[in-house]
Amino acid sequence: MASRIVSLKVNGQNEEFIVGALTSLQDILRDTLNYTSVKEGCRQGGCGSCSVIIDGELRLSCLTPVQEVDGSEVTTLEGLNQSNSIAALQQQFIDKYAAQCGFCTPGMMVAIQALLDRNPNPSRDEITEGLAGNICRCTGYLPIIKAVEGVVAEMSGASGD
Amino acid sequence: MAEYLQPGSLEEAAGMIASHGSSLAIVAGGTSAMRYSAPQAEHVMGVRGLGMNKIEHFSGGLSLGSGVTMSQIRESLPIPALQEAARGVGGPAVQNMATIGGNIFARQPYGDVAVVLLALDATVTFSTVNGEHTKKLEDFYASGAQADGLLTRIDCAAPGGELVYLKCGRRRFNSPTVIAVAACVGLDNGKVGNACIALGGAGKHPTRCAAAEKALIGEALGVASIRAAADQAAGACSPGTDSVASEWYRRRMIATYLTRALQQIAAG
Amino acid sequence: MAIKDLKIVGQPVKLRDLDTHVTGETVYYEDIRVPRMLHLKMHRSIYPHAKILNIDTSEAKSSAGVVCVLTHEDLPGKKKYNGLAGVGVGPEDESVLAFEKVRWKGESVVAVIAETPKQAEAAAAKVKVDYEELPAVFDIMEALKDGAPVVTDHWPNNHYIFPDNHRAAQVRYGDVEKAFAEADHIVEDVYQTQPIEQAPLETNGCIAVPEGGDGRITVYSNTQGLQFSLDVTADILGVPTSKLRFIGGTVGGGFGGKVDLQPEPITTLAAMRTGRPVKFKYTREEEMRVSSSRSAWRVEIKDGVMNDGRIIARKITTYQDSGAYLRFSSYGGMKHCGHMPGPYTIPNVWIDSIVVFTNRTPSNAMRGFGVMAGSFALEVQMDKVAETIGMDPWELRLINAYREGDMKSHQKEVEDAGMVETILAAAKLAGKQLPEEFQKMSSLDRKAG
Repeated sequence: MASRIVSLKVNGQNEEFIVGALTSLQDILRDTLNYTSVKEGCRQGGCGSCSVIIDGELRLSCLTPVQEVDGSEVTTLEGLNQSNSIAALQQQFIDKYAAQCGFCTPGMMVAIQALLDRNPNPSRDEITEGLAGNICRCTGYLPIIKAVEGVVAEMSGASGD
Repeated sequence: MAEYLQPGSLEEAAGMIASHGSSLAIVAGGTSAMRYSAPQAEHVMGVRGLGMNKIEHFSGGLSLGSGVTMSQIRESLPIPALQEAARGVGGPAVQNMATIGGNIFARQPYGDVAVVLLALDATVTFSTVNGEHTKKLEDFYASGAQADGLLTRIDCAAPGGELVYLKCGRRRFNSPTVIAVAACVGLDNGKVGNACIALGGAGKHPTRCAAAEKALIGEALGVASIRAAADQAAGACSPGTDSVASEWYRRRMIATYLTRALQQIAAG
Repeated sequence: MAIKDLKIVGQPVKLRDLDTHVTGETVYYEDIRVPRMLHLKMHRSIYPHAKILNIDTSEAKSSAGVVCVLTHEDLPGKKKYNGLAGVGVGPEDESVLAFEKVRWKGESVVAVIAETPKQAEAAAAKVKVDYEELPAVFDIMEALKDGAPVVTDHWPNNHYIFPDNHRAAQVRYGDVEKAFAEADHIVEDVYQTQPIEQAPLETNGCIAVPEGGDGRITVYSNTQGLQFSLDVTADILGVPTSKLRFIGGTVGGGFGGKVDLQPEPITTLAAMRTGRPVKFKYTREEEMRVSSSRSAWRVEIKDGVMNDGRIIARKITTYQDSGAYLRFSSYGGMKHCGHMPGPYTIPNVWIDSIVVFTNRTPSNAMRGFGVMAGSFALEVQMDKVAETIGMDPWELRLINAYREGDMKSHQKEVEDAGMVETILAAAKLAGKQLPEEFQKMSSLDRKAG
């Protein structure tokens, strides 16, 4: 079986590993690199809990063959923690009770980051659509939407709008 | 454990398809293949590196690489019906991954974009070891959706009339499809000159509905002809029952949504 | 003291684990890292009801990466369990690994433990079980008919026997038949609900880790009933609970869907047998098809109602689909019975709450265990009563709402009644205009308003 070396830059760190068979990026992130914020809710692309940012785009790591992202930059929630870019969002989540069991939260955080990267001032409708791929079974979504609205209001306030 | 193949060219990909036959699964975006075909296959061929993600415009028509994603369609295509169909596929992450080529092969009731492509009377082009061949998407589905080679391109002319796409789902966003309808109707002196009606969730594959088209052509687009077309569509379709919806419900929704689509066209 | 002076009541409390939820640092069972971990996959029954003629594991055992294969013969302690046996609910009716018969499609038959999840899955598919298919029953009313297939020998009539040999959990209060004869209207209907999967985002699972060579095992689990899981596992393994250390509490969504107590015993046994850590995680398909759902319910209600809106009698017969085994259904049936006849003061009440066995996936708890199906039926019935007698449904509820000191049909006085105020507050929020006498109503005084 033909094996090959795959290189990734994960959360700023260069990583290399040998893969032969069909291997998902999720398995590499969780089991090889121990980025355990990448949750496994369904392995079917249905829940969004394994969401990561690949070369600036939101993607699902469970359905991504790792060979296809050779040379890419991958960001998980651990990476967003490092850059401290989402501290305000995290505080909003705490203040608005936007998590209960917490299992969807890492995927939500990553998806929200991807949404705000593209659209720093989303309407409620755009927030809803932007998070439509991330399932939460506890909150009923409204607290999450309010947390995003809270961080958007903070950001626009800081820029003097 | 499936061996992972990454061809460097269309020729190499066609060669891999020819030599591995049915033991090969093709992965583009992964949203469908990584769930169904790839885990079962002996060989998996990833085609993301083949650069099939170009969109070309020509005299109103389009040539879409099979690797064009839902997000690309949403952002850069001038046809609102196609944009709307792409918008209905999964959430943002899935739209960044899922390709138009994958959508054509997606299991029903998935495959929303293909419904619009059918209404646009699109063609599909395959690359094989013996060269390229092109067929109408309608014929491709009518003959059982069997791929011959690697799907590289989807071409369609500008809509030959007013094009409306409507989807019945269970949620506003990221909903599996109960049914989808795409209607493209050209009016000629107040009468329907040409009509292309395509249905999703109405059978094993996305289907053109000749009976509904026949009920419209030559008629004024009004209450009577719209009702006739909806009745024909509901009668002619053969939807399935799954966890999303029952055959009973789908049949009724096909009539309802086709009526709405045609009413929208009639209202201009 | 006014509400605003209270320091805790009415004040938001910070959730303790939110700080690590938002950074992704919360450790769920699956985030535990242990070396040399094995993976368990289950071979499950393909029939809803069948006799097991033979179990052949030879091919599975020789499959790549397989370390251990477990059937019912490998169970060292009890072969059957009920999660509430420790608190006196029984009998222990559910097979840990099926023997003699399977009673629902998806029942655990053989556990296969291998080096990787894929190897375990491939080997589990190679287990061969010879079955003789038996007639199955899927509908609660069919199951109660004479001659219906018997689901388990514990209950030859396919319904649970409550303590003191009762067919149903019961309430008898006043004389409903006499009141029906006096009522101006009789309003009757049947309400049914379907099973609902709790669908937690994190599927059921656990990791069992041997600690040293003396048989101690640590189990990291997302069970919602850690103590129940511990007790049941000790019973099935035939070891004292002191040998087992269960670590849990961090659950990626449960909603009642993680009290089946299925993953822990077999995974712990596998760890004991192999001397290596073993993980058993339900796939999403298993979570949807195999883990218990909320029960399906059938609720039959007959009300005797006066022209002025007073409900003077309510008779309810209710059937809960427990599936093939008991699990917590008798408890759910009792709660369901206790919830009836709703938050209303009715002088004559008759309730039978029956737990029925079918060859469906065993059902279990889900948010508002036993209560949700009851509330659904009761409140749709209330609307139907209002419609029948031509009364506003808000007014009907206010007239019948219980007041402080009323006697409930369970023969307990109402304390801290707040139903009237709740309805009035809801009416205000909904912009519902109620006549003045209704606005003046109070839970503290039936004569007010």
